[in-house]
Amino acid sequence: MISREELLELNERYGMFYNIADELPDGDFHFSAKDNLTTKDLPTTAGSRMLGTYRPPFDAAAVEALKKTGGILLGKTSMDEFGFGTFSTNSAFDIPCNPFDTERSCGGSSGGAACAASLIGGHIALGVSTGGSISCPASFCGVVGLTPTYGRVSRYGLIDYANSLDKIGMLAASCKDISKHIKKIIGEDPRDPTSCSHPPWHERDELNSIAVPRQALDGIPKEIISPFEEALCILKKEMGMNVEMVDVPMLRYAEPAYYVIATSEASTNLARYGGMRYGAKGNDLDMHFDRYFSTVRSENFGEEVKRRIMLGTYTRMVGFRDRYYIKALRVRQALIKDYERIFEIHDLLLTPTMPFIAPRFKDINMMSSLETYLSDRLTIPPNLTGMPHLSIPCGYVERMPIGMQFVAPHWEEGALLYAGLEWEKLFEYHAPEDRI
Amino acid sequence: MDTKTVKKVAMLARLEFSDEEVERLAIELETILNHFGLLDEVEGLEDYSLNPIEVIDILREDMAHIDIPVEELMKDMDTYEGYVRGPRLS
Repeated sequence: MISREELLELNERYGMFYNIADELPDGDFHFSAKDNLTTKDLPTTAGSRMLGTYRPPFDAAAVEALKKTGGILLGKTSMDEFGFGTFSTNSAFDIPCNPFDTERSCGGSSGGAACAASLIGGHIALGVSTGGSISCPASFCGVVGLTPTYGRVSRYGLIDYANSLDKIGMLAASCKDISKHIKKIIGEDPRDPTSCSHPPWHERDELNSIAVPRQALDGIPKEIISPFEEALCILKKEMGMNVEMVDVPMLRYAEPAYYVIATSEASTNLARYGGMRYGAKGNDLDMHFDRYFSTVRSENFGEEVKRRIMLGTYTRMVGFRDRYYIKALRVRQALIKDYERIFEIHDLLLTPTMPFIAPRFKDINMMSSLETYLSDRLTIPPNLTGMPHLSIPCGYVERMPIGMQFVAPHWEEGALLYAGLEWEKLFEYHAPEDRI
Repeated sequence: MDTKTVKKVAMLARLEFSDEEVERLAIELETILNHFGLLDEVEGLEDYSLNPIEVIDILREDMAHIDIPVEELMKDMDTYEGYVRGPRLS
């Protein structure tokens, strides 16, 4: 078991935890929770000044489940504010650094979780994905990230970003580690109705065919495509998989559809922060209530949060709802059908996880909001469809890890884990120098 | 998106911005909304659902119980005689 002193030292260098538990008793295994999962022993901020003082009176269902099965909670991991970001840089607090190069990002929004999974041997990090917040940091930090089917894990105790997209999953140094623990957090929970209608876990011990969407590879640089193609060769020659290119024209619309749905839902979710019941409060109760709420919200939300609230409020306004929100829901349904047609023939879909290696912080500062949104284009489709997906290391460029992302039909997480376990028998992962 | 629309949306979202921020947001949001305009190309789709999976309504018997004690929930609130204090309504 890692000591608290070792953890503090590691955190000083990499900033992956917002807070670390006061005591770390012996347990069967150690885990961390992204800071948008409530914990009654530790503050929960979701990376926002708005919740800077919030101490929840209850544990999130996933946290509760891991504690009950012998898990010791090490701390809460850093993230983009409310999950709004791709690089974990949109935070009111510490920004985590990449375990392979501290001048680069961990990815986001579960950046601290991926960093912890990469640096602490045998660690299980609970992450949350809305549009790729598990896959992206898993790819940048060289770890495995499993995002289960929407509804597979109870969202009770999750500080929502977008209700119809949020999913709780796990990051770890290997698929083997995830296989050991993932079933502890799945199952029906009456506190989250969307977790109450899923079929049982389906184990798989055979896979035959993988589809690669042609459109997903458009514009991906050679430094990513080359190791990805080498991975396809291993899948074909050493794992005996049939690999076929397929067309998914609807992918072109996945990214705008996702951002419309995500910001629409976020703008209603974040309406609850009015400075009265929890978190930041205003100083002057003599203000008119409109002014009071606006003041608290404007002073405590970060720039990206305000931008997404503005976008989501606009796309739900009278006259725009059908053009944006309803259209985006229709695109989601059409993409689900496209994927289901492909899964009638193939077991899994496969793409690179991200279109580039972990960028340097100085380059992130130069990116516009739209450029950042577009960098999520490979992780958005499975998240939009609610289908389970697994990002797993498949190569290294300039010592930096590259991930590939398997996608399975709804409820077929067993197929992903089987693919991952077989893959890691053939491919050797690199560990960062500071792993303990 | 013009600055007048930015101000209207900000009012609905209960957010306040300086004139400089309004100018900047107008440009940024316009760029992003133009990108969302890709969705205008899509026609002929009818089906939609609010969730990506089928969510079945499951009802249970009502049971009276206290999930989290009220005093626990009120610990973080500004209260007066058991009521939550809030701003003026008029």
